[in-house]
Amino acid sequence: MLILLVLPALVMFAVSFSHHRKAKFLLPISSVAILLPIVKLFWLPKPYAIWGNYLVADRLDTYVLLISSLVGIGVTLALLTLDKHVKVSPKAYRRFYRFFAIFWVGLIISILANHMGIYWIGLELATLSTVYMIKTNHTPAAHKEAWNYMIVGAIAISLVLFGIILMYASAKPILGEEAMRFDLLLSHAKEIPSPFLFEMGFAIATVGMFVKMGFFPMNLWLANIERASFYPVAALFSGILESAVIIGFFRFSKIAEQINYAHLYGFVFVYTLLTIFIVAFLIFRAKDFMRLFSLSGVEHMALIALFWVSGGTFAALLHFGAHAFLKPALFLSTGVLESRGKYRIAGALRGYKGKKGELFWVLVSLFLLAIISLPPSPMFFSELYGFAAMVEMAKQSDHMLAMIAAILFLLVLLSVIFYRFVTLYQSMKYEGKEEEKRVYGSELAALVLFALCLLVLLLPSSFAYLRSIV
Amino acid sequence: MGVDFFIGLFLATLIVALFTSRLYRLIFWYSMNSLVLGILALMIGKALDDKAMLVTGIATLVIKAVGIPYMLKHFSEKFHFVRQIQPQISAHYAIILIPAILVFTFYLSEPITHMIEGNANYIAISISSLFLSLLLMMEHRHVAPKIIGFLSMENALFLLGITATGGMPMLVELGIFFDLLMAIVVMNLLFHKEEVSS
Repeated sequence: MLILLVLPALVMFAVSFSHHRKAKFLLPISSVAILLPIVKLFWLPKPYAIWGNYLVADRLDTYVLLISSLVGIGVTLALLTLDKHVKVSPKAYRRFYRFFAIFWVGLIISILANHMGIYWIGLELATLSTVYMIKTNHTPAAHKEAWNYMIVGAIAISLVLFGIILMYASAKPILGEEAMRFDLLLSHAKEIPSPFLFEMGFAIATVGMFVKMGFFPMNLWLANIERASFYPVAALFSGILESAVIIGFFRFSKIAEQINYAHLYGFVFVYTLLTIFIVAFLIFRAKDFMRLFSLSGVEHMALIALFWVSGGTFAALLHFGAHAFLKPALFLSTGVLESRGKYRIAGALRGYKGKKGELFWVLVSLFLLAIISLPPSPMFFSELYGFAAMVEMAKQSDHMLAMIAAILFLLVLLSVIFYRFVTLYQSMKYEGKEEEKRVYGSELAALVLFALCLLVLLLPSSFAYLRSIV
Repeated sequence: MGVDFFIGLFLATLIVALFTSRLYRLIFWYSMNSLVLGILALMIGKALDDKAMLVTGIATLVIKAVGIPYMLKHFSEKFHFVRQIQPQISAHYAIILIPAILVFTFYLSEPITHMIEGNANYIAISISSLFLSLLLMMEHRHVAPKIIGFLSMENALFLLGITATGGMPMLVELGIFFDLLMAIVVMNLLFHKEEVSS
């Protein structure tokens, strides 16, 4: 199974060295081929050992991997017409795929890892491979941001490793070298002789993961990088790389929950509230699509983390799935939306002719309204269930009033973001002058794919599956 | 006793690196830092009879003490790096700041050190090395010393791994080495493109 999972990425890597003109079409096909073993994995009994105890497929990681592979296909489709919107050389295009292949290998390793160390290795590999993807855009800003990403990303990932070492040290007296395994840590969490050491390690690793996702205090870091790079890179960051980071948080937090739930909840609640507080005002001031979507991504990742630790695991997973499809869809549509200038928000949804154009603006409108959780968006349901879990948690807490006040404050911040998005949507649709914009079939196919995935996510059977994951 | 001496030397090489204003000297001190780390891994590995740690100790000596400094020097010549790298924090402030960081980290790591078997000071030194490596990254404007700061941070984490846990699993250590080499490849590409575009 491991060979089947990694083979398409290896083929993609090998083909990326070919200068044959038809290689351009073989690369997206190899991206689609990644989905096939994942679908097979989806039907296998769980937990399924892929490589001993190191890589084990359970319901959670198979779900994350399936979503990531679908996002990968969408991004690949949009890449076919990237050169119609931006200046990209065939060499940069091939290199993008070369690092995309390495990125996939890292991603598969980190998502399926049942071992803290292997999780870290996969995440580091995926992070390093994305550095060069930023550089495929040959501008001084992209050069600067690629270095920025390399250095800040390295610090974030080092913090994760620091935390892992402390967590490993805390459990090694009882588990020996097996103290790196997530399943054993979870089952022996209450026996860990130095819980404080584990919590310290968890807090440091979590800060590293949160920094990597653009949480406080690095709120603008990711937004600047995504602004400087080509829009498919931003789609990959928001739809796939952040999945690999958040799955680590899911796994670590489940163990920390067994050790001291109150500490875990307090830490994550305060951190995410602080992040959303800052991000809400940054979104309010955002003047271009890329930064707007990037900051909105930070807000949603913070909500996912918050729902997860509040006990709303179903809500967190639904929100995660919806965000993984919606955000890349919006990032990919910026190529068309910004075709008349980076800061031309007014009228961005006007000037689309023909069936393709009509379908494009309808889909983008729906995605924009879905990202702010208007029904029937999956995010509407996830937020409903997520906030219900938080209120339930507050009712059981000793600090009920303080927690209810914090939840209300969070809702106020979300309404600031809601207001900003609605204003922008109105400006995009009803203001500005009508200028003709061209939509290409491949990017439209990507948006249709994401729309279909969102519809599937709303099916009762999908809800039932998500409920059965944790 | 020998381990104490080399741990002290590890910290000393990092502190000297913080005051260095020439790139080749900085690469040299990084190489010394890695050399001491490799010797420490070999000594601790031998004391614990841990073959995996012995292998990683040898890998540290070959890759970090010789290979990476050689490659950095090669990059420096190939891409014409700025070799005069004056730290942004002047020496008289650094003289106050570095001991303050050391005292702070010893105080910060005090609750942790009670929970770990073995010499508590080793953990404190590993954590202070991590902070000093971050300082090295922060005090320089140029990219090359920032890279050395990142590599020193890896060294500090490796030291934490061998002192706090008695060595991490072999697979993880080798994976970290592989990622480090991948980082060097990516850096090479980043430098290369910069040269082409300028």
